[in-house]
Amino acid sequence: MAKAIASAYDDFTRTFSNILFAVSLFVVWGILTLIGVIVDQGKTPDTYFSSYPAPIARAILRLSFDNIYHSPWYVGIIALILISLTVCTFKRVIPARLPPLRPVSIEHIPLHAAFEVHGSAAAARERVEHFFATRGWSIRKREFGGIEWSFADKHNWARRGVLVAHIGFVIIAAGTTLYWARGFSGEAAVATGDTVTIPHTQARLRLDRFNYTISPILTKSGMVYQPVDYVSHVTVTGADGVPRTEVLRVNHPIDVDGTLYYQASYGFAMRLRVTHNGAVVPSLSDRVLAEGESIDIPGTRESVTYDRFIPTVDRGTGEPSADPRINNPAAVLSVTQAGNEAGSALVPLHTWVDLGGGWRVVPQNYLIYSGFQYRYDPGIPLVGIGALVLLAGLIVSFYFLPARLYVRVDDRGDGARIGVAATTVKGYDMFATQFSALVTELRPALETS
Amino acid sequence: MNGHLQADELLMIVSIASYTIGALALLVYFFSREEWLRNLGAPLAVVGCLAQFTQLVVRFELTGVWPLLNLYGSLSLFAAMSVAIFIGFAIRYKLWFAGGFVLALAAVTLAYGVTWNEGTLPAVPSLQSYWAKVHVPIVVSSYAAFLVAFVFSCIYLVKYYAERKFETASVVGAAAGQAGNVSVRTAVFSTSAAIRTDTPAIDAAAEAGSAAAAWLKSLPSLAQLDVIVYRAIAIGLPLISIGIITGAAWAKEAWGAYWQWDPKETAALATWIVYLAYMHLHTRNAWRGFRTNWVSLLGFAVVIFTYLGVNIWISGLHSYKM
Repeated sequence: MAKAIASAYDDFTRTFSNILFAVSLFVVWGILTLIGVIVDQGKTPDTYFSSYPAPIARAILRLSFDNIYHSPWYVGIIALILISLTVCTFKRVIPARLPPLRPVSIEHIPLHAAFEVHGSAAAARERVEHFFATRGWSIRKREFGGIEWSFADKHNWARRGVLVAHIGFVIIAAGTTLYWARGFSGEAAVATGDTVTIPHTQARLRLDRFNYTISPILTKSGMVYQPVDYVSHVTVTGADGVPRTEVLRVNHPIDVDGTLYYQASYGFAMRLRVTHNGAVVPSLSDRVLAEGESIDIPGTRESVTYDRFIPTVDRGTGEPSADPRINNPAAVLSVTQAGNEAGSALVPLHTWVDLGGGWRVVPQNYLIYSGFQYRYDPGIPLVGIGALVLLAGLIVSFYFLPARLYVRVDDRGDGARIGVAATTVKGYDMFATQFSALVTELRPALETS
Repeated sequence: MNGHLQADELLMIVSIASYTIGALALLVYFFSREEWLRNLGAPLAVVGCLAQFTQLVVRFELTGVWPLLNLYGSLSLFAAMSVAIFIGFAIRYKLWFAGGFVLALAAVTLAYGVTWNEGTLPAVPSLQSYWAKVHVPIVVSSYAAFLVAFVFSCIYLVKYYAERKFETASVVGAAAGQAGNVSVRTAVFSTSAAIRTDTPAIDAAAEAGSAAAAWLKSLPSLAQLDVIVYRAIAIGLPLISIGIITGAAWAKEAWGAYWQWDPKETAALATWIVYLAYMHLHTRNAWRGFRTNWVSLLGFAVVIFTYLGVNIWISGLHSYKM
């Protein structure tokens, strides 16, 4: 039993520490990620059936490609990558990056050179060590089987670069886990003059006013209505109970008791006046509807939905204008009967649409609302530190080349034979030019010293 | 207003003209190795690059709008950084022979970018952030480094396949078969520390009088080309890592979340994954060289998709074309 477990453990570690296995996971991850880029996410099934042939649409839905980033495949592949990363770190990165000092067969290492010099072996060894030491190489000596070896290392500390980069990943993962465990986020929409209470913190936000600026600019392609500013003037009341005014803009969140509030969106709510046989129905006319909300007409199976706000209706054509500034506003109202859409109409403010049976609906006035996002994320410092550690690891890994020279000096009676070989953590090609220059310099230096 | 547009357009014309003439000169130099062509093309590359950076600065100074917030500006920086990174490599490693390809790509990119020039528009609210001055140049610079890697990967693969072709054509006979046992990727030193060739079939064919082989022999060795590709990617990968991190920080500030699986974010992640795979595969002797250079090509295809495909064809939070 113990043998079987040990064998299974060996198989597990061998598989998960394999670089090709890790790269295969990367490839699958990359493909799934690209699928998520190409296939619209979070749409209704009808959207996929209208955009793709039926078999592909069915495949998208059955394989959860419509919500791929939360699919078992995606989460699973990330979990496998994290396991692979962990196993690789302990089985491959740490041992390979910190190799022990040991004798090698110099001729079998692709980067090698051997030549003979005059003088005793001891003197030659001393000169070799001096040569490398003066060029910034760190020298260590060991004896194996009666043969003395010299080992010269450069940028030895940089061998930890890959390990540092992997640790960076782990810290980022810890930071995001902290958010999942203790953080929260949400959205809130509040109309001008209204107050919203955030359920997680009981903080209150009142929208005093919302302004937006749109600049019409004539470009080579025609008129462009460029949004320039969205700004919410709010009064916030945090845990201390003291109201204070704040200005909330895109890219400028406000902090209330550690929770950040972001300007996310804006829109136009609508107050509809509903009349029956010419008399206003107050219970239906007091409500303010956000886009997409509806009211049911009493005693009928009809309901009226406020679909969207049209800031400007072209007075010439009667059609919605591209100009997002408010000039001649209207509302798009749709009517459903017994759950079936009966039609929709563009209804200018203060005009009416007749539903039959004496019922009329008048878009009475609009109200700007502001959409906020809020988020409490205690993992931010960890994620930031992890990102810095990751970057430091990458930079150390890419821009420093830890190299080790193996030097063996053999006595040849009237002289000494010097064998030098080099290994690096990035293969041999990367160090070929430097090794060539080093050896070219070494030989005459030994002869003349 | 007209004054700055004229200066802007003038500098752009200087850049495109310099790149075009420089590309032609260096492309001919690539095949002919006539020194005067290099001496013509190299300064033109520098002039075009300087004119581009000047154009971006002038545009910013006169309009007050950070010039990289639309496709026109970012493509302009992409071309300029590609040439700048290449110039650095060319000076450091004597690689002017490949400049024609980089300059040609820069000229095409610039010309394409000009078609997106809609004049001066103020930044939309989400782009009004100091992060725009950090995140965008870093990401675009990473793309530029990947372009340089792409060019040298192409040259690597041309030489690699040529070597295979000369081998199979038995131009070098038995000697080639013997030398074929030597690693084609690894520079091996003899006792005299001389570099042994990694394309013996090409060398033999060159000695036998093949003009094509002689030209191929004049290119850097496969090992050297592979190291150049690695070094270009070693610039691009940390940059795109910083770019993704700064982008996440910006997203956090603007939208309240580091990551929203926006098409641009995920495509950038895919790019990062491909080049991360390249770096991992490059640690493997069996993959280093031929295969990793194909990964480099794949990576650049993903870069183009991320950069242009997502901006132009897929709508999302990063759909800033104008």
